[in-house]
This record gives sequence, structure tokens and C-alpha cells, in this order.
Amino acid sequence: MNHERYSSPLAERYASPAMLSLWSAHTRHGLWRRLWLALAEGERTLGVDISEAAIIEMRAHLDDIDFAKVAEYEKRFRHDVMAHVHAFGEAAPAARGVIHLGATSAFVTDNGDLIQMRRGLELLRARVVSVIQRLAIFAAEWRAEPALGYTHLQAAQLTTVGKRATLWMQDLVLDIAELDHRLATLPLRGVKGTTGTQASFLELFKGDHAKVRELDRLVVHAMGFEQSIPVSGQTYSRKLDAQVLSIVSGIAASAAKFASDIRMLQSFGEIEEPFEKEQIGSSAMAYKRNPMRSERINSLARFVLSLEGNANQTHSVQYFERTLDDSANRRLVIPEAFLATDAILILMENITGGLEVHPARIRARIADELPFMATEKLIVSAVEAGGDRQVAHEVIRRHSIAAARAMKDDGARNDMLARLAADPEFGVPIGNLEATLDAHHFVGRAPEQVDDFLAEVIAPILATGHAAAPAAEIRV
Amino acid sequence: MTVTVGSTSLPLPLVVRGKVRDVYAVGDDRLLLVASDRVSAFDVVMNELVPYKGAVLTQMTAWWLRQLGELVPHHMVSADADEIIALVPALAPHRDTLAGRSMLGLRGQVFPVECVIRGYLSGSALKEYRATGTLAGERLADGLVEADRFDPPVFSPATKAETGHDENITITHVRAQLGEAVAAELEHMSRLIYERGRDVAATRGIIIADTKFEFAQRDGRIILVDEVLTPDSSRFWPADQYQPGRTQPSFDKQPLRDWLDVERRAGRWDGNAPPPSLPPEVVQATSARYLDAFARLTGAPLDTSSLP
Repeated sequence: MNHERYSSPLAERYASPAMLSLWSAHTRHGLWRRLWLALAEGERTLGVDISEAAIIEMRAHLDDIDFAKVAEYEKRFRHDVMAHVHAFGEAAPAARGVIHLGATSAFVTDNGDLIQMRRGLELLRARVVSVIQRLAIFAAEWRAEPALGYTHLQAAQLTTVGKRATLWMQDLVLDIAELDHRLATLPLRGVKGTTGTQASFLELFKGDHAKVRELDRLVVHAMGFEQSIPVSGQTYSRKLDAQVLSIVSGIAASAAKFASDIRMLQSFGEIEEPFEKEQIGSSAMAYKRNPMRSERINSLARFVLSLEGNANQTHSVQYFERTLDDSANRRLVIPEAFLATDAILILMENITGGLEVHPARIRARIADELPFMATEKLIVSAVEAGGDRQVAHEVIRRHSIAAARAMKDDGARNDMLARLAADPEFGVPIGNLEATLDAHHFVGRAPEQVDDFLAEVIAPILATGHAAAPAAEIRV
Repeated sequence: MTVTVGSTSLPLPLVVRGKVRDVYAVGDDRLLLVASDRVSAFDVVMNELVPYKGAVLTQMTAWWLRQLGELVPHHMVSADADEIIALVPALAPHRDTLAGRSMLGLRGQVFPVECVIRGYLSGSALKEYRATGTLAGERLADGLVEADRFDPPVFSPATKAETGHDENITITHVRAQLGEAVAAELEHMSRLIYERGRDVAATRGIIIADTKFEFAQRDGRIILVDEVLTPDSSRFWPADQYQPGRTQPSFDKQPLRDWLDVERRAGRWDGNAPPPSLPPEVVQATSARYLDAFARLTGAPLDTSSLP
């Protein structure tokens, strides 16, 4: 690492080796060479005079890119694609005269970008599945543990710890549906020529339209795609970038919602993100455990969310068949959106694999709120003990107000049940009241919803062969 | 009195000091791996050293590599202290530290992947199965119980980032990072070695429930490196007590775990570092388990006569 120059924290600190490798110069220009090979092979198949030796030499030099040589050429030509054409030609001299035949720069740059984006979506998908797998284990373990629900960020009816995790999972399930749609339909730009009219190829094939169409098809299939975009200008519509970034930022948003919830739960003391044994929470306050991983997710997610609009803006200002003001912007926006989202999901994998739940704390917080929420059940218990419904309601109203006042003014715990039990007008012993207020009676179908959700929605996602690695926990 | 070793200080460049092993560079081309007698349980490293543990791990790896020699290329040059000293004379004054516990190996470019392979339903795999009935991208048969056997075994690579947070990876990432061909070869070799190891161990009364391998690239070949099919890199279960449907006892660490469990239940230990001091009989029982595992597996007791 060079400490004298700026380097991207996404590359130095946050993103995974696989994602960094995907957006590397080596991968990008290796794809260019594969595209040139596919083009030459297609042209040869369709009768263009290209020697077998040219194809063999090209195929033998797909990855040994001499970047120093490329830099020399680029200094002379001020054109990166032509610099690579010449460097490739030097490595495969038999092909020198036919590399890039009939093509425009966007043939390699646009097709290469689309391939990188599709692979990037596949990498993100694998990580999303891996997060879902961890959350599934978590949800199953805590399926029936009652917890305060919150609406308006105020305590509301109970839910369970596991049920809440299904909400986080469902967001990711929705993201996967979008991912799968995009992976299935993302086209290549294909073989379209300078303004997208395929004029140069029509000339190459002496007016044979069928051969031009066939070349497009051959190249697209050779690169592992099903389809090329039906029509293009010089470039594919930048709307595709915006659609891809919408999915990527959608994942970031799902992660950010999760991370915000974890930060609040950690603030409440209910659930904490993992904390390494030697981690330092605060340089000054030694006892502190800060939810720094969740905070980092939110930090990176805001960055990714800001990029989504950027891609739509680039699309909106492309004039006619293309303008070059997309180029520098896309070079930053697309890789960084993928790298940052990759980093977000690595953090989310780590957090979801090591969440620490504090049931005693969760129960204590329930105990402070539940008596207020249980008015109806308390009335029934009073009536069952021979009381009058109207009297019971009034007694509960009085004691609720008093208990709430004591909590707010004196910082007391909620002693409403004790007040009721001590009130002869109510006439139910404390033991019966506590049994009535067993939190498990207030969670509705939450545990069963968790079971159904895991079996019906999650199991099919985890069983599609897109393996997510179970955590390595073999060392004991 | 047996010599136990906690951490070492040899006149060679230290490459990495692990939880239980120290690795030194020998020239550019080779590595010296020294297994200490440190032991961990429930993710905590104990204060006490377990006699012979380092020697058992190293000699067991050496034994396996000799068995597997025709199956896969590997890194071992020698696990004999005198041979190692003959090759690296600077180590002569440290024979007592090295004896039994050290292995000289070829150095390669280690793939950043732990090749985890599972033959039985246990650990985090069990948790996933209980939640959704799936594992590593497949839906497993209904009705499996803890410790049931899989056929074929399940390959689920993982890695840990070098700094900061752990990073678990998926097969998709292994392919993206190392290429389809290397990823497929790592899986193939892992399956081959594990299945051979599982079958051999089964005839000796030991179930190897799961394990992890590391591989390196050297001169264009993939070689097996690091420790191989030891109790520290695998789950060893005693076959005669195997009973699906419950947590299996650990062949090597059960006396230690049982004792720590009692301490935990009695509220004398919270499960985190620092660990409680182990009584000598627990340390001895653990040592005996390691020696027993070695003797059963290899058919002969560890030769302790040449150890200090």
C-alpha cells in the first residue's frame, strides 16, 4: 500500500477479494480480449478471412496482459481501447490485422461492463443468501421469545425476537426477486457498430443482413448471454445501469433498515452485535460497546443510495446516440456501488452470524409495558373471579395512571399488578395476574408465522444450489 | 518430566503465531510449523498446557500424509526433529522444543479458503437444518437428527479475513476469486481426502464428523498443507458411543469440556476468557485422550522415548 497517495477505502478496507478482483483492470481487459476473440471467431465462422492461427494466438493470450506496454501505447494514442488493441496484437501477431474488425470502442467497453455487472449481481446474490441463512438460524432459535413491538418508536403490542428477524429477511427476499429478474434479462450490447446501425458489419458481410444478425447472436452466446439489446445507439441505453443500481441500492437500503433496528436494540440493551474479545469500544469510555458495524452499514448504505440517483441522471442527459459525459461518472459509480454493497453485506453476514440476545433485559422491558397493554385480559380475569366489569375497568384505569405516574416521576418499575392485587375492589391474587400476563399469550401467531415463513419462503431460496457457507466453527 | 511448550522463540523469521501453532520461514522455500501444547475449549485458550498434544497433532498429520501420499501431493518434508536439524543446523540447540511437535514443509501460495467438509450433521449445519431443512444450497431429507451421517459429504468452503471482521464466503465467491477450475479442484481434493480419512478412521473406532483442509499452489500444482485430519482441525467422535439424535461426546476434549461445564453451571466461570485453572487430573485426562486417539488411529502408540 502506498501511503503517499489517495487510495479508496473500499479497496483497502471494506470490500471482498472476489469483488475487488471482479472490478480490477485485469478482469476488465481480460473480458475485452475475450470479446475480441468471440468477435473474430464469429466473423471467421461467417466467412471473413481470419486465419486459424489468429484465433489460436488470441486464445492463448487472454490473461497475460502487459500493462506497461498498454501504458506506453496509451501515452502515444490517448485512447485506451486502441492501446489494448495494439498490446493484444503484439501478443498475438497473427491476429494483429483483424482484432476489433468492424467494431467500435463500445463493443468492448459496453459489453465488458455488462458482463462485470452481471457477475457482480451474482456475487451480491450469494452474499444475500448467506445473510438470509444466518437470519434463518437466528429466527428459528428465537421464534417464540416475546419482545416489545414498536410503532412510532413507542412500545406497542408484543411480537417475538424471531418474528422481527423475518421482517429483515423478507426485505432481502424481495431484493432477491429483483436480482433474479435482472440476472435473467440483462442483455449484452452485442455487435452494433458506431451509431448502433451495424453499418460497418453490413459492409463486412457485403450487404448480407442475415450474417450481421448471426454475428450478433454468435458473440452474445459465446459470452454466456441469452440476448443482446434489440436496438442501441453507440452505447446500450444507460437506463440499464440505472436499473442495476436500483437493485444494488435496494439491497443497501434493506441492510440499512436492519442496521438501524440493531442500533436501537443495542441502545435498549436487548440485542447486541458481535464484539471481539479485544475490541475497544471507546478510547475514553472503556466500558462502552458501540454498534460500530451496524453504524458502518448505515454509513456505507447512504453512500450507495446516493449513487442510484446518479445513474438515472446520467441516463437522462445522454444526447442522441451517445455523449461521453457518462464515461468518467460510470467508471466511479458502478464499481463503487458494487464494492460498497459487498462491504455492507460482509458486515451484515458478520452481525447476523453473531447477534447476542439478552432475554432477561427483553423480559424486564416487557414487564414495564405489558400491564398497560393487557387491560382487556385483566378485566376478564377480574370478572372470572366474580367481579363487575365496570368496576374492574375503573380500578384498572386508576392504578394504570398511578403506576405510569410513578414510573415517569420517580423512575420506578411498573408495579401496576401489585397495586391491583392489593386492591380488594379488584379481588384477583397476584399469582393469577402474573399468569394472565405471561408474555407468551400476547404474541399472536408470531412463532407460527416464523415457522411458515422459514418453510415456505426461505427454504426454497436456500435450496437452489446457490450454496451459502455455514460459518466455520470447527475449531473448538 | 515431560517438556511442554506454550509458545516458541526460534532463530528463524516468524511468519505467524497462531492460537496453537507457530510458523517460521526457512529460507524462501520452506516453512517450519511448530505445534504447541496449548488447548482451547468453548473458544477460549486454557492457561495450562497439555503434555504431548503438540506432538500428537504433528505426528498424526505426518501419519496421514504418509497414508495419503499417493492420493494428493502435500507439503511435508520431515516431521523428525533430527532430520529437520540436519537440514536446518541453526535449530540444533532447540531440539527439545522441536522434538515431535515440528514439521518442515514446502512453502506455497496458500489459497485464502478453508475447505470445510462435513460428513455428519452437527454444529452450525445442524442449526441451519433445524431452521429450514437445507444445507449448502440443497434441501436435505426430512427427519434427519443430530449427528446423522451424510452421503455424499457436504463441501462448504469458508474463510476468515486477515484483519477485522470474519468473512464467510460462498462457493460462488470461491469460483469468482480462484476460478472455476481451481475451485472445482479444491472441492475434488477435499472430498477425496476426507472420504479416505473417514473410512480409515472408521475402522479404528473413530468417526471424523467434519474437518477442514488448506491448500497451496506451488510450481503450478495444488498441494495439501497445514495440519491434516487432526482433532484440532476436525470433530473426532468415539465410534462405540455414536448415537444419532444427541450431541456426540468429543473424542479428545470431552474430559475438559465436562469439567468446564460443571464450572459454568456452578457459576464459577462465565464462559469467557480468562478461563479457570484446570486441575492436574483434567490436564492429564486430556493428554491421555490425545495419545489414545493417536494410538487408535495409527495402530501404534506415539513414540515418546525420543521426546524430552
